[in-house]
Amino acid sequence: MQKNWYRLDTAALIFPATIRRDWCNVFRLSAGLTEPVDPAVLQQATDDLRKRFPSYFVTLRRGMFWYYLEESRSPVLVREDYAYPLTFMSGAELKRNCLRVLYYRNRIAVEFFHSLTDGRGGSIFLANLVARYLELKHGIVIPRTELIRDPAEPPRAEELEDSFLKNAAEVQADRTEEVSYRLHGTPEKKGFRTLTTGIVETGALLAAAHRYHVSVTAFLAAVMAESIISMQNEECPRRRQRPVKITIPVDLRRLYGSSTLRNFSLVLNIGVDPRYGDYSLEELCSTIYHQLRAYATPQHMAGMIAANVQPQQLIVLRLAPVLLKNIVMNAVYRRTGESFGCLNISNITNVDLPEEMRPYIERMEFIIGPQRSYPNNCSVLSYGGRTYINMIRNIRESELERRFFSRLVDLGIAVEIESNRR
Amino acid sequence: MYCVKCGVKLQDGTETCPLCQTPVWNPDQIVRERSYPDSLPERHRESGRTLALGMTILAAVEIIVVMIVCFRLYGELRWGGYAIGGIGLFYIIAFLPQWFHEPKGEIFVPVDHAAVALYVLYICAATGGRWFLSFALPVVIGSCLISTSMICLLKYVRGGRLFIFGGFLIVLGGFTVLVEFFEHLTFGTPMFLWSLYSLSGFAAAGIFLLLCGIIPSMRHELERRFFF
Repeated sequence: MQKNWYRLDTAALIFPATIRRDWCNVFRLSAGLTEPVDPAVLQQATDDLRKRFPSYFVTLRRGMFWYYLEESRSPVLVREDYAYPLTFMSGAELKRNCLRVLYYRNRIAVEFFHSLTDGRGGSIFLANLVARYLELKHGIVIPRTELIRDPAEPPRAEELEDSFLKNAAEVQADRTEEVSYRLHGTPEKKGFRTLTTGIVETGALLAAAHRYHVSVTAFLAAVMAESIISMQNEECPRRRQRPVKITIPVDLRRLYGSSTLRNFSLVLNIGVDPRYGDYSLEELCSTIYHQLRAYATPQHMAGMIAANVQPQQLIVLRLAPVLLKNIVMNAVYRRTGESFGCLNISNITNVDLPEEMRPYIERMEFIIGPQRSYPNNCSVLSYGGRTYINMIRNIRESELERRFFSRLVDLGIAVEIESNRR
Repeated sequence: MYCVKCGVKLQDGTETCPLCQTPVWNPDQIVRERSYPDSLPERHRESGRTLALGMTILAAVEIIVVMIVCFRLYGELRWGGYAIGGIGLFYIIAFLPQWFHEPKGEIFVPVDHAAVALYVLYICAATGGRWFLSFALPVVIGSCLISTSMICLLKYVRGGRLFIFGGFLIVLGGFTVLVEFFEHLTFGTPMFLWSLYSLSGFAAAGIFLLLCGIIPSMRHELERRFFF
């Protein structure tokens, strides 16, 4: 039987090219239930979603000119979690499946290779997986909405489209930026990832953000920038410092009304240059918020989309063998992908599950792995009145987390800390 | 339960604050239910055995072709010996380690040098030369000792990379002088014709790395400017 295959979307092209022996770009979404997870039911629920979300049950294949995704023959087997999230997804694993379904005690987690989708697409898949699990386990009826979809119905064409191609401007936005400050530390042994979760009341976080007249994302980015600036101040004199910028992914679905389940987000590097002087938290909040407002517009993002789409449409590049493309893409990734930001703050905001599911779900989390060239990353998700701020690192030092969460406490936000640290 | 230093609330049963490592004093100690299990993933290494098998077949085919051509044309091996030796040497250096899951540099580097020495010995014998014992062998042995010790230092000594690389460059510079000395002994070429230039270049680079190791500000500046 002929297997379905999919071209990688515009944003997904970079991820296979940047895979290293011990690193690839993966992220995780998880839901904490009120009772222990039944692995057999979870396996059934996973299998039931195969036809509804075919673009997630795929393997990564290498063609002559491009990588592509091919329908996977091997099932996604649910398994127990490891000691840390986002363990390395090897090339051999990606040839079987680009998706993992994991469980531990009350938690169901899904880990995605980033070529499949972004955080928003992942959150839709997780919500559907948990909904199917609850249907099978408890026999409850969950109404079909924009979030919870009927597993029996076929996927819609717009869910599988590459929305970048439809929304590119004619002219590319300028991508030149100054290289930012590098966070660094002592690498953890055996690729261990330390996860520190700060749990705060969403109301308290919103109130704090509103005190500074900014959004939650801008507020968290400002507190993070302040923490990084203070670390850099202790490290080197002002004239030798580098800009401190936070990489913030922007969900383009809202800007362009897309309902694709594949990647459709782009990042903005927002921050300040501490060489010009000291910034108060209020000033940081203000400048980060206004930069976000200025750049996260349909017009500017269309220019950024064009900067990604147009080079990929050059006939010379299209005809280059995939191995040559890997070299070019790696060079581009090193120059523009990671060097402009100190770390990501990826906020997929509030996940609003149907009323019928809420009694069974205690918490939800979103975790992105450390980048290839910087050791810390931060991801945020709100559910049920609580916001889960996950900071992950592949170094031993917890200095950034300490400064960031202590600052939130100083600002009157009660923070509860959990960690997988051994 | 709160951390007295950071002020954050901690999970029940936490022994030290995950943020500042301050010990937590808790009179009502409860065993903490861990949020992740203890099991670690298996370290996966992509196997190169398919590549190694393919290259073994290719090398075997090449050797057979060379032998057929030589024996059909000349009735003896002639230049085929050099070609077969070259193919064998390339195979040993590039593809022999692919058969192993975790090839160890400290084993394969001496093996590679032994293969080089054998190949050079063959060339020396085939051309009727008298330079193997006085030139080629000492050079190969010196190269083997330097590269193997470098690999062992990098593998078994934690940290101090800049000192290791700096020292390596200086030793490499000294080794070029030794090479010229053996060249002088064997072929009668003048001494110090070229090796002092390479010694000064390697020594300057080595000293620069040692200085970077000694002066932290210089090291950090370089890290910031040349990270990749």
